[in-house]
Amino acid sequence: MFRRSAMVALLVPGLAVLAFGFLYPVAATLAAPPDGDPATVARETAALLSDPYLLPVIARTIRVAVVTTAACLLLGFPVAYLISRAPARWAGRLLALAIFPLMLNTVVRTYGWLVLLGSNGLISDVSAALGLGRPQLLYTETAINLGLVQLFLPIMILSCYSSLSQQDPRLEEAARGLGASPGRAFRQVVLPLAMPGALVGCTLVFAGAVTAFTTPQLLGGARERILSTLLYSRVNVSLDWPAASAVALVMTVLVLAVSVLSGRLTPKGSAQ
Amino acid sequence: MIRRPFLTLLAAVAFTIMLGPVVILLGVAFTAGSTLTFPPEGLSLRWFGAALAYQPFLDSFRTSVVVALTSTLFALALGIPAAVALHRGSLPGRRVLENLFLSPVIVPELVLGLALFQQIMVGLHSTATAALVLGHTVLLLPYAVRVAGASLALADPRLEEAARGLGAGPVRTFFSVTLPVMRPGILSAAILAFVTSLNNVPLSLLLTGPGVATLPVEMLNYVQSSFDPVVAAVSVLLLAGSVAVALVTERLVGFTKVFGR
Repeated sequence: MFRRSAMVALLVPGLAVLAFGFLYPVAATLAAPPDGDPATVARETAALLSDPYLLPVIARTIRVAVVTTAACLLLGFPVAYLISRAPARWAGRLLALAIFPLMLNTVVRTYGWLVLLGSNGLISDVSAALGLGRPQLLYTETAINLGLVQLFLPIMILSCYSSLSQQDPRLEEAARGLGASPGRAFRQVVLPLAMPGALVGCTLVFAGAVTAFTTPQLLGGARERILSTLLYSRVNVSLDWPAASAVALVMTVLVLAVSVLSGRLTPKGSAQ
Repeated sequence: MIRRPFLTLLAAVAFTIMLGPVVILLGVAFTAGSTLTFPPEGLSLRWFGAALAYQPFLDSFRTSVVVALTSTLFALALGIPAAVALHRGSLPGRRVLENLFLSPVIVPELVLGLALFQQIMVGLHSTATAALVLGHTVLLLPYAVRVAGASLALADPRLEEAARGLGAGPVRTFFSVTLPVMRPGILSAAILAFVTSLNNVPLSLLLTGPGVATLPVEMLNYVQSSFDPVVAAVSVLLLAGSVAVALVTERLVGFTKVFGR
């Protein structure tokens, strides 16, 4: 349609903004914050990776992301499967209901947990009424997991649904017709064919859980730090920029590693 | 009869976890009491009054809307031409260029926020609003390139060739063939980008200045410092707004088409 030089010109403004607003600041901050140099960040990163107080933070971040991903898959896949096999009218409504929370900000979505899990919250009241005392629910790793599962379920449902809705339901019926039990047809036909979508979902949820901020801040607080909330306190409370850069570096590498790994596992040409 | 009791049970748990906390929110927002309790202690609208009288929420809402509108426009203005070049340009290294445009997705938003705070706000003395618009434009650019580009990938390039063959110049072809073909994609990208910007916390968190913060960040700060139900009332107002946006989206392009990406 256009000459090649004109096509290149169409890309230039976008590339310029990416360079100035993304590549340059991120590279500069990860390499050397304003009051430090690469050696400082390297020293801080080494300190972070050998600090007995900070290693549990990294371990907790990974643990929370793994648990969240597994729970989202366990709960989200059935939703996606049932929607993909429901009559069209219902399927549309259920899918809309599952996606709707994505329109709300994370404070709105997490707020309800503060009420449920608080020291005078609903669950605590029920537990006290049953004579079980008032367990600490808020500011625990379980609270973070619950909040993150709520946050990322829609994404897992969508990813699984994109694979499941492309599957021909007659394949499952054929397996049943050939004598497979419903459970066996599900395990041997439905699940393997839905793997690409489930894998994309797991990658997105894992990366999202590693980098989520609002929910771990509100539900884990200073008691149960993960990398993102640690980064924030390094910037805002201790004002230690090289240390913040070190945390940012570890977080970025973690997310990149998972993306690369899942890219290796995903067959070429499958839907993203 | 339920055909798959085990899967149905898991799905019911999933919906309870997704929507339960939002239902709790409604109860808390309409409470007559002054603590976060559910079920509410009587019904009243007092916290809605309190929310609308709290100046920082009004200011930050305006900031959020201005940032979301501006950065959505910028992202579309930069992303649509890029999508056209990527899909119609037969350029060498197309995949590399496309990945470059999608790359902001890979870096944690909190890290991008820290980078913009240090390098642009502190380093170049920019205002918080300018840093917010720059950051959100970068955040939304991948949506614009991918979503607007998707409609282009589906369209037949021979339409444009036909227009050229019939004597239209490249500019006229773009405005009377390419752009109309991209319309649903552009609309989807615009809605998705606007909502994404309006809801963002991690990127906006550090990009604050005197009297400047986005609404979600202001809400987060409020929740961390006081324990009254004002934020629940704000949340219900946002919920109502989101329902309205969802209904309009459903009319225009299809709700699940836009948000199901």
